[in-house]
Amino acid sequence: MEKTVDISVDFAGIRLANPVFTASGTCGYADELADFMDVNCLGGFITKSITLKPREGNATPRIVETDSGMLNAIGLANIGLDKFIEEKLPILEKMTAAVFVNVAGQTIDEYVAVAQRLSSEKAIAGFELNISCPNVKKGGISFGTEPEQVKEITSAVKEAVGQKVLMVKLSPTVTDISVIARAAVEAGADALSLVNTFTAMVVDIETRKPVLANRTGGLSGPAIKPIAVHLVNKVYNEVAKSRGIPVLGVGGIRTASDAIEFIIAGASAVGIGTANFIEPGCTAKIVEDIKKYCDRKEIANIKELTGSLL
Amino acid sequence: MSERCSSSDKGMFEAIVSSNRQIGQRFYRLILEFSGDGAIAFVNFQPGQFAELDLSGTALPSAEAIPEDLHDAAERKILLRRPFSFTDVTTNRDKTFAELLYCVAGPATLRMTTLSAGDSVSVIGPLGNGFSVPDDKKIALLVTGGMGVPPLLHLAKVLTADLHATMIEVIAFAGAKTETELPFEGRLDEISQQLGFSIPEFAMYGIESLLATDDGSAGYHGFITDCLAERLGQSDLASEDIVIYSCGPEVMLAKVAEIAKDKNIDCQVSMERRMACGIGLCQSCAVECRLNGSNETVYKMCCKDGPVFDSREVIF
Repeated sequence: MEKTVDISVDFAGIRLANPVFTASGTCGYADELADFMDVNCLGGFITKSITLKPREGNATPRIVETDSGMLNAIGLANIGLDKFIEEKLPILEKMTAAVFVNVAGQTIDEYVAVAQRLSSEKAIAGFELNISCPNVKKGGISFGTEPEQVKEITSAVKEAVGQKVLMVKLSPTVTDISVIARAAVEAGADALSLVNTFTAMVVDIETRKPVLANRTGGLSGPAIKPIAVHLVNKVYNEVAKSRGIPVLGVGGIRTASDAIEFIIAGASAVGIGTANFIEPGCTAKIVEDIKKYCDRKEIANIKELTGSLL
Repeated sequence: MSERCSSSDKGMFEAIVSSNRQIGQRFYRLILEFSGDGAIAFVNFQPGQFAELDLSGTALPSAEAIPEDLHDAAERKILLRRPFSFTDVTTNRDKTFAELLYCVAGPATLRMTTLSAGDSVSVIGPLGNGFSVPDDKKIALLVTGGMGVPPLLHLAKVLTADLHATMIEVIAFAGAKTETELPFEGRLDEISQQLGFSIPEFAMYGIESLLATDDGSAGYHGFITDCLAERLGQSDLASEDIVIYSCGPEVMLAKVAEIAKDKNIDCQVSMERRMACGIGLCQSCAVECRLNGSNETVYKMCCKDGPVFDSREVIF
């Protein structure tokens, strides 16, 4: 008899066909990715950060490769809310994956304005609050490192999103990530995603200048995976588990094995970021390989795996 | 102007190495063979378009084959694909062959040297917009510096093919810092040089070529852009009959753009930026451009909007 593995996930009340998301900023608005894969095989999709007004982003170089990783300092370049609604929303409406819009801004009012305007859009399942972008001077990470600020912005946006799910994306560059996670959850976050990139620098030894025009950038890729797994486990144990808050594990995932590590550590779902740049269809394979793993380990429902770390 | 060429059937394909040949101290020529869907996708690859190669799993050469200045770089594990343009694309039955000319400059190109016939390479492409070939020009000037040569060799072939026979004359200008940085297989003899044919790779298409090196070790002693300016000064052709195509270091492109602007000549430049993906996902490869000829600036993406831009558009 053929075994049936259930890899669907209940993520803060949203039914996901599988636990695999593409992470914000690495999958555009889905149109670019569609040349390489059937985007409908994804469980969830998180857009590039949207701000109220379009943003041109930072000067170049905006990226540099490092050992098993890369630094980016894009600077939240995006087309802005109006153009997003006009040009990209129609594409996202056709997706079967749960669409999350990543929201960023320089002031709380800006975050609220974006969330409010999109809160009634049927195509959108929820929002990911970007309070952890390391590459913009105002806003971004400055909101994500102080528990009081996290509470203030989370509760303001929570009110704006209405019935939609609010997920807060956490920065790993803090003293205790659980303190920030707790602040977000207490202020109304329905889910947490972690981690964003690590603030980092690469120096050109010939010129003695930082390689990136922004001087620093966010480190992502396989290099950060073990740290991200640890932080997911910590937040799961100390904050999320007892409150029934799902965690989206993100950081250096390239394969199903990587994804499963995060799930065992406490993630209900996983986000694939940098790997999309190297193999734009990798998420489809990860979904299939997660099924195979469950089959092999005789796991009937992937929920059994979440937080099953011994 | 004719339509810009971009391909909608881009994808990720496995290519098989048919040869990988060293042509100079640091230069190699690699031929990739595509079959099936890859052959179909790459058959329409236009000069100036590019492809992203995954070299992360390719082995390093033996320690003694690693140039001293790359010893440290060789230690680095690479993650991202690398963008390359092609020097030539040919077909034979149901196969498409793409030729790359590369310079060993870092951890990825160092690994590339160990590829040998039969090896498999993952390639994403065709990507970006290539050079456009106007149907109303009489002369095309190809201006390259350093490793800007590959897409212009491909363009040279396309321009001199029967299809574009309206083009009366094509002249190539190739510059480098020093002779060893010219990515060509030797040079033609004195007599050919006196006739204006210095570079065999261009001569094979019947194209005149001029060489310049910053240190005077080969050809004209000075910048290749000086040769371009001089040639244009001698020309009695009307500006609207000329088109300039350029690829190379940005400082050279800026000079070429300035010359073109002064003489009111159409000019297309191929830009280079650090890219993580090449397919519009990462937004890394921003090129600062003028918005519709105004003073307002906008960042365009080298991978999707370029890599070839109208030189009037780019802010250098």
